[in-house]
Amino acid sequence: MTVVQIPPPPLPVRDKSATRALSPMLTRLAEERATGVLVREHGTLYLAEGRVVHAESPFAPGLDVLLTAHGTLAATAWQRAADRTAGPLHAAELLLASGLLPAGALELCHLDALYDAGYFALAPSSAPGRFRYDSGPRLGPLPSVPVVALERETLRRRLLLHRLWPDPAADSAPLIRADPAAGPAAAPVAPRQRAVLDRVDGVRTATQIARNLGRQAFHTLVDVRRLVAAGHVAPRPAAPVPPPPPPVTDPDIALLKRLRDALEAL
Amino acid sequence: MANTETALKEALTSIEGATGVALVDYTSGMALGTMGGSKTFDLNVAAAGNTDVVRAKMRTMEMLGLKGEIEDILITLTGQYHLIRLLKSRGGNGLFLYLVLDSGRANLAMARHQLKKIEAELEI
Repeated sequence: MTVVQIPPPPLPVRDKSATRALSPMLTRLAEERATGVLVREHGTLYLAEGRVVHAESPFAPGLDVLLTAHGTLAATAWQRAADRTAGPLHAAELLLASGLLPAGALELCHLDALYDAGYFALAPSSAPGRFRYDSGPRLGPLPSVPVVALERETLRRRLLLHRLWPDPAADSAPLIRADPAAGPAAAPVAPRQRAVLDRVDGVRTATQIARNLGRQAFHTLVDVRRLVAAGHVAPRPAAPVPPPPPPVTDPDIALLKRLRDALEAL
Repeated sequence: MANTETALKEALTSIEGATGVALVDYTSGMALGTMGGSKTFDLNVAAAGNTDVVRAKMRTMEMLGLKGEIEDILITLTGQYHLIRLLKSRGGNGLFLYLVLDSGRANLAMARHQLKKIEAELEI
């Protein structure tokens, strides 16, 4: 007699292919050409008629940092514009209208900031996003980005990081210099990466270094992963958790507890 | 004081023999803007690939201890020229202009000169 083994039918699993939408909610909003603000765990997307006009994330330096850090714009000029307007996007439009910034430079910084914050906003999150219909965001003089383009770019960026160094630990942990003795034939560090390496102090994380340098956070993640792959930098290991107190077996304490319980019962 | 789109349009229309142009961020390999190209020539793919060219050259120069900066890179194919021009922006964004030329119609010296001018206008 032969036993025929029938394999169990495959369990229905979610399609994990790269073409899957990062946020089904966002896809739906894009289809209905919604206008409003999508708040997700790691960032916020501003939609106007289904297109992304602006993105913010606590991890990514904003347009103000990118514009003022390298002398493209004086910090006081930004401050003056920001005081007179509702948000960074409106401040940028005011600066453009007043001729303080060349259109090309501002557009490039705006797109840089949008894709950068969008990368973090679309990061996998543990909490569902919330959308608020709001007529605030609108299509302005600065370029907007279709949702599919932002999603495609975010996926491409994830793959790029994964190719450079597959361990994401260095993205969020404070960074330390790796043991220099471990890599005697260390490759030379490019100037852009050198600036990052100089700011590795055991306290700052990659995104804090980005803010300090006035660079996009994702670009700093790329530099950090390359530095990790080359053995220059490592994520600081998490502090060891103190062992839990051993269970009480001391007869004196057991006696005292019984005494306390008895007294309480009186 | 051109914006990105006009700068790309100008490159495509004013440079003789240009068939495609892209403005690329060379850390992420993302094209911030593209114009031209064709069904068989995806400028976004070209942008990402040429990022590696720029990075490799920069790393080589670092290893050799060369202090100069890359102004442009020319790649000559049998029927095309690919011209990469790095933007020297104050923002230090790390961008380059990528231009595809039909080698039968293009004037290389003129194309280089015009690309330089477009770069200057984009981010003054």
